[in-house]
Amino acid sequence: MFILKNAWISITRNKGRNILIGIIILVIACASTTTLAISNTATDLINSYQSAYDKELTISFNRENMKKDFDFSKRDSLEDAKEKFDNITSYTIADVENFAKSDHIESYYYTYDISLNGNNIEKAESQTSSAMSGIPGMPQGDNMPGMGGFSNSSSYDFTLNGYSSLAAMSEFIEGTYTVTELTDDAWDKAFTGNYVFINEELASYNNLSLNDEIQLKDDAGNVYTFTIIGIYKENESGNAGPVDLFSNSVNTLITNANALVAITNTNSDIRGTVEPTFIIDDYNNADTIKNEFYGKGLNENYTVETNEEVATAGLSSIKNVQSFATTFLIITLLIGGIVLLVINMINIRERKYEIGVLRTIGISKPKLTLQFVSELLIVGLIALMLGAGIGAVSSKGISNALLASEIKSSESSAEKMKDNFGGGGPGGFNPMSGGPGGAMSDNPMDGGAMGSFGKKGVPDVQAYESIDAVVNLGVLLELLGIGLTLILISSIAAMVSIQRFSPLTILKERS
Amino acid sequence: MKDNKVILSIKNASYQYGDAEEGEYALRDVSYDFKQGKVYAIRGRSGTGKTTLLSLISGLERCTEGEIIFNGKNLRDINLDYYRSHDIGIVFQSYNLLPFMTASENIILSMDASGIKGKNKREKAITLMKSVGLKESYADRKVLRLSGGEQQRVAIARSLSYNPKMIVADEPTGNLDKQTEEEIMAIFRELAHKQNKCVIIVTHSQNVCDMVDKVYELKKVKKGK
Repeated sequence: MFILKNAWISITRNKGRNILIGIIILVIACASTTTLAISNTATDLINSYQSAYDKELTISFNRENMKKDFDFSKRDSLEDAKEKFDNITSYTIADVENFAKSDHIESYYYTYDISLNGNNIEKAESQTSSAMSGIPGMPQGDNMPGMGGFSNSSSYDFTLNGYSSLAAMSEFIEGTYTVTELTDDAWDKAFTGNYVFINEELASYNNLSLNDEIQLKDDAGNVYTFTIIGIYKENESGNAGPVDLFSNSVNTLITNANALVAITNTNSDIRGTVEPTFIIDDYNNADTIKNEFYGKGLNENYTVETNEEVATAGLSSIKNVQSFATTFLIITLLIGGIVLLVINMINIRERKYEIGVLRTIGISKPKLTLQFVSELLIVGLIALMLGAGIGAVSSKGISNALLASEIKSSESSAEKMKDNFGGGGPGGFNPMSGGPGGAMSDNPMDGGAMGSFGKKGVPDVQAYESIDAVVNLGVLLELLGIGLTLILISSIAAMVSIQRFSPLTILKERS
Repeated sequence: MKDNKVILSIKNASYQYGDAEEGEYALRDVSYDFKQGKVYAIRGRSGTGKTTLLSLISGLERCTEGEIIFNGKNLRDINLDYYRSHDIGIVFQSYNLLPFMTASENIILSMDASGIKGKNKREKAITLMKSVGLKESYADRKVLRLSGGEQQRVAIARSLSYNPKMIVADEPTGNLDKQTEEEIMAIFRELAHKQNKCVIIVTHSQNVCDMVDKVYELKKVKKGK
């Protein structure tokens, strides 16, 4: 107890020295509180934003990888490319199921697409659209080798999209398609047998309605009958040309993957395309999963990618602020810690005489060390409390000022890019659309066709316009941890000196 | 009748600094006995090892050869922090008081270090101050505001605060005028003769030697001897 009393007397009687130490710790505490509050709040916002997305991993065909080996201006080369392209081993549903057997994959779903001709149903086709594009309804996936990446798939009337589960129906989830009519038991049947959802334009074109049966046939003449259980419409048709009468999906029939697998089992010449989506546990495990896929036989011409970039596209400014806060915190702690250590070393040298006297009257080294550490702890805790208070008051303003500066910088980059496109740009380029008032947009990647630029490092959307950094219990505990660590590290000077100093030497020097 | 038993016995004590050359001693083969109720002076010229001997007696250093027996116990075998805070009071030429504390706080600190309990430490400190000729009003005065003689009295009061059996003083009157020196020496004699303490004074002053019961003369150590 007398150690604490002695420490308190020493603090109150040596104000200058302790005020100096207190100021240093106060500055460190202020900076730490502010940066911790910014960093933690930014992390919460980022996590909250990212939680809106599943951590997805998809497989796509890397055309660029293939293209670089060929000179397409030469006919022979084109033939070679076609041959090579067709020979690339595609993956099957069985492969996908095998890929999914990973510790890092939480779930998966897929779409399975095939193409068939109509038997009692006519393909919806406007003359102009046929002439212009000729491929409405073609499977748009990139994993096309083996089923005609170079072949003219438009020779088939219909594309059948087979979903493995509700989660796979991304067009409906994202709102590209909307169901307009349903049978009462549609969702009970949707993933069980030969049931389809058809485009309302196709239904109108063929005068079809719910519960009608449609027949499709393959090249071998096998006929497959499907019952209509739903009608949908396409809400957006981004690539529609000015003379195209129908939406892109007009000849796309929505069914389940099992029904299509049964068809390809009937006729093995029909080659389906499977597009899997794997829900993974952590983006950091993407490389591990990727290696697992290749180890399980995935062809090297396929790439495995996550949606991390998309999921974080609107967070560039807030991430920059977070990064700045973290860097600033590290620098502050490093410099602050060194300054504190040096001040303490000087302080201890000045107190050698005191150490000598206290040792002479019989105060043991551990007790003396405890007294010196206690002094630093008392001063440090008072400074930490003051610093936390000041930091709490200032962190909100500082965080929002930093974010505003970052957003301004992003806007400047985006404006510059806009100018590069003559001041306009396709798709109504608006770098700030989608995130007013700090609220998350419904679709963070909104921003028109220029959305792709976001993937190249210039954010087209900012998810948040304010951080409102909050000093909560977590921040205070982190600050306490940092403060105590710094105090203990800087106390090492006292501890070492007390062990090393000989009282006799000190007192003789004094004499 | 005073009990004049030997309280401290130095037996063939030698001391070599860690960085000393072979055969180079700061103190060599010293043997003295000190009894309770007596005032002793250890006299010697500069470099004879007076302060070294005092540091060995006060437990600030351990002798490299020989032994020092206090009250039947070898100093090698006891906790020297405890020894310094309970059994021996040390008074230095430069007083060695903590300047940021008051006179009474310096004395109370010593009581705390020796583990003395109780709420009346301040009263005890004032009593001790009075016993060495200091006024009560000096109790709350910072020691730097006291004269050299007054500071030395505070140092003596501090050394008595836990009632040690032995007081060692290193040139306690070296910075004081003759009159104050005599007053301080009177205090030491009283401590020995009336309170049965053993007082050992390291000095080179003949005047001090004239006022003690016994003088030990330290000779300069010859290298290799």
